[in-house]
Amino acid sequence: MTSRPIHLVLAAGLALGAPAPAQEAEHAAPASAPRAAAPDPLRQGEINRLLREAPDGATVRVPAGIYREHLRIDRPVTLIAEGEVVIDGGGQGDIVEITAPDVTFRGFIVRNTGDNLDHENAGIRAVAPRARIEDNVLDDILFGIDLRESPDSIVRGNRIGGKKLDIARRGDGLRLWRSDRALVESNEMHDGRDSILWYSKGVTVRGNVGHNCRYGLHLMFSDDVTITDNEFAGNSVGIYLMYSTGVRISGNRLLRNRGPSGYGLGLKETDRFEVRDNLVVGNRAGVYIDGSPFTRAKPGLFEGNTFASNDVGIIFLPSARGNEIVGNNFVDNIDQVVVSGRGNLDANRFWRGDAGNFWSDYTGYDADGDGIGDFVHESSTLFENLMDRQPALRLFLFSPAQQAIEFVGRAVPAVRPEPRFVDEVPLMRPVPVRPEVGVDAGARLGLLASSGALLALSAGVFALAGVLPFSRRTDSSQGALS
Amino acid sequence: MIAITHVTRRFGRHVAVRDVSLSIAPGESVALWGPNGAGKTTLIRCVLGLIRCSGRIEVAGRSVRRRGKAARRLIGYVPQELGFYDELGVSEAIRYFARLKGLRAVRPAQVLESVGLAGHGAKRVRELSGGMKQRLALAIALLGDPPVLVLDEVTASLDAVGRGEFVRLLEGLSGAGRTLLFASHRIEEVSTLARRVAVLEKGRLSRVQTCADFADSLGRSTMLHLVMPVAVRARAVESLRAVGFPAQLNGVGIVVPVSQDRKAAPFRILADARVPIDDFEIVPVGKAEPGAAHHQGEAR
Amino acid sequence: MTALPASMPAVASAALPRPPGVISSTLTVARRELRDALRSRWFLLYTIAFAALGLGVSFVSAAGTGGTGLSGFGRTTAGLINLILLVVPLMALSAGAASIASDRERGMLAYVLAQPVRTWEILLGKFVGLGASLLASITLGLGACALVLAWKGLRTQPASMLWLAGLALVLALGMLSVGLLISSLARRASVAVGTAIFVWLTLVFVSDLALMAGAVALRLRIEQLFALSLFNPMQVFKMWSLHAADASLDVLGPAALYAVEEHGSRLHALFGACLAAWVLLPLGLAGLCLSRRSPL
Repeated sequence: MTSRPIHLVLAAGLALGAPAPAQEAEHAAPASAPRAAAPDPLRQGEINRLLREAPDGATVRVPAGIYREHLRIDRPVTLIAEGEVVIDGGGQGDIVEITAPDVTFRGFIVRNTGDNLDHENAGIRAVAPRARIEDNVLDDILFGIDLRESPDSIVRGNRIGGKKLDIARRGDGLRLWRSDRALVESNEMHDGRDSILWYSKGVTVRGNVGHNCRYGLHLMFSDDVTITDNEFAGNSVGIYLMYSTGVRISGNRLLRNRGPSGYGLGLKETDRFEVRDNLVVGNRAGVYIDGSPFTRAKPGLFEGNTFASNDVGIIFLPSARGNEIVGNNFVDNIDQVVVSGRGNLDANRFWRGDAGNFWSDYTGYDADGDGIGDFVHESSTLFENLMDRQPALRLFLFSPAQQAIEFVGRAVPAVRPEPRFVDEVPLMRPVPVRPEVGVDAGARLGLLASSGALLALSAGVFALAGVLPFSRRTDSSQGALS
Repeated sequence: MIAITHVTRRFGRHVAVRDVSLSIAPGESVALWGPNGAGKTTLIRCVLGLIRCSGRIEVAGRSVRRRGKAARRLIGYVPQELGFYDELGVSEAIRYFARLKGLRAVRPAQVLESVGLAGHGAKRVRELSGGMKQRLALAIALLGDPPVLVLDEVTASLDAVGRGEFVRLLEGLSGAGRTLLFASHRIEEVSTLARRVAVLEKGRLSRVQTCADFADSLGRSTMLHLVMPVAVRARAVESLRAVGFPAQLNGVGIVVPVSQDRKAAPFRILADARVPIDDFEIVPVGKAEPGAAHHQGEAR
Repeated sequence: MTALPASMPAVASAALPRPPGVISSTLTVARRELRDALRSRWFLLYTIAFAALGLGVSFVSAAGTGGTGLSGFGRTTAGLINLILLVVPLMALSAGAASIASDRERGMLAYVLAQPVRTWEILLGKFVGLGASLLASITLGLGACALVLAWKGLRTQPASMLWLAGLALVLALGMLSVGLLISSLARRASVAVGTAIFVWLTLVFVSDLALMAGAVALRLRIEQLFALSLFNPMQVFKMWSLHAADASLDVLGPAALYAVEEHGSRLHALFGACLAAWVLLPLGLAGLCLSRRSPL
């Protein structure tokens, strides 16, 4: 490992056909023999060397190869990977540390940090403002991208995959600490612990995808954050807001977040939030509202969302008051709206003016054709009421015995429970589902296939017996009661 | 062929069959005689392994208790009355029981023809008359040519005509080296079909006699074959029965069992009833076994 | 053979016809039962009712989504589970209960047993044949439902329909076994069917309601409640369906959560063992009863 001339960078770049503007070659040193793109399996300290030689504001291109090093970027440079550049931490400590402001770090593959939770071993850590961390792939890392007091930074287009560890031993894929006005965009986070914002104001989180994590996105004391067009699927919790104010959540897809206390969206003592046009499907609970809004003067708003196929559409803790839930679709949730513990939802409103929500279990009708159900929508079944008081009785959900109890509840007004909530103007038709869902061709095909399999099995049995379905050669039956 | 040794069957405190031992040689035909409740049906059910009993029963050396399936494969059984699946087709029924006996290549049409049911294969079982059902049961019993036939009062539910036809069908079978065990309380059947008679009284086997001795003991040792025009036969049977002669229709006329010393009585009765008699023949019962059928053929 | 006179040559065993084997006999009976069942009025009635109600559930839940197509597990599968719990056990119980008792009543049982066939083979044949007819009915109904769900573009997990059909069959086989046990004990078919309906009522409504009341009155702990619920095949079917299809058991509250935490991946085996016991034990008992008792 003798010193390798810098111009090799350029040569390698040309050899790979990558664009290499002439002005970027200014700090190239004299050449020795150019090397083809089959680099040594391991190069140590080489990028650091490149960096030392680059002036402030320079663009440093790193040729393809696997580099075993711990990189420290302490000058404002742009560091760009040419081709496949792997920086391997060798399972020890942090890998990239950005200590200078205005650093751009783009296109690298960063992998194999240490797994020490106390030292929070991270793939890329920035501790200076205006870092741009773009289009990197982080794999097998404890913490992924860690911004510490890096306001106005941009984290964009990265793919962050955690170590395959027990959830308790994983680190956060993405963490922002006192990094105001950061932009987190189009990243993919998977198999990490959380993507978390601490004390970071005015952050925009847009177009990201998070799956198989604990919290898809977690806000702690982070105000005025905008969360749009993200997809959080298959995590324990999709988005969890705690102690944050002025958060706008719109156009997100929160799907199948089913941890033991899994929610699509959790709100704890959060104020002045707007939840609009989100698709919340298949979660254990679509939304979990705990003490939000915290201040009654700063109401929470849910509008234009679709809550479908969750075990529970929305869970309210009794402390939740002052929410306005209007113009949403509640479709096929096993429980549409639940108050955890005893109580009702009188302090929350399910309609505004002449429009409420669409309820797939609304039993009324619309005789005058104005699109509003002619009867109020009340959620008050005897069995739900029983379950509220005796949660263990949920075990009997979906059994005919439950039906029997609910039948009694309907037939005997004396035992009819108080309604949990009332929507005085239920919508007859759903509001447009946003973000849009196309027909799931895969599911349709799968259903068709299973239908085909079942019907074929049935036909097979008939064929085996040599009987056409329902061929009645005779008018007598063998049943004893006939 | 059938060895019954010390067989006892109790129903609660009632003893239906008490310590019965009976051995039946291959090709032999034995009638179980006795009034209703004497234990005939119970004994037959024991032989079939349908009910448990103490003692031992073997069919061709196969214990019906331990190797019941193998034993029953050797037995064709015709019950008193066939409780068939009503909706079953006749041919279908034959195929079903053939399969139960492990027979694959059975042609129902042929089987039906052999018991005079040709052309009834497409019908359903419940569309058959009682006599036809019994013949179907016989056809099923004969599937796979079992060496043993067990019949349990097979004619009990039939009228006089049906009974006659059925017994004639059986006669044709008993000569073919087949072992026959049947329960009956009709002298004409016993005298036509059996070589030996086992008499059951209150569950006990009181005696086993040759057919001739048995008929003598009952005073019915002779069969009177009377030939007469078809038109009057039914009337003849009726008038004889009215005075206690168990007359029965036959191919060319009627058959009347009588005791040795009263051979003329039927003539007198029929003359009173204005039944013309064309011809007659007197045949002693059981004297030329196994040839009742043979005799019968000559009488025609 | 000792009883045979020496003059008669002992019949050579090889020359004597041999009975068919166990499988052959069982299948012969099974085929007969299957044909009869498929042609019977009861089968027709139940199958049409099951399919029609299932289609009703499918259409209603499709309509309930207001064309959003957003039905996952949700009420569709819940509705189907509910329907299966009501119809399938009733069908299986009454089919089982009617079969042996009505054969006995008509003398058919004795007649068939007089053939070279064992009691066990008849019982097993009836089980297989009637089971196959139940399979036909269940798959027909649920297949039609899946077709409607696909047509309406509902986002139900495809595999959940297969799970549902499979588990419904297991439940049906269990109830068929119970039906056969009732049938082998009853003298008359009408009594057997009446008893079957009583058992159905007990399993579907009475035991659950009693358990609910007991849970409240006796302050049963959740693990006790879960353990007790395992005795009811309907509950086991329901929990298993939820566990196997795309929802998770925690829908069913603390008792189910306890089950998931305590048994975790063993739950499939646990539920399977419970239902298997409901299939095998009554069938075994029915076999014992049948071979002990006179078929008359």
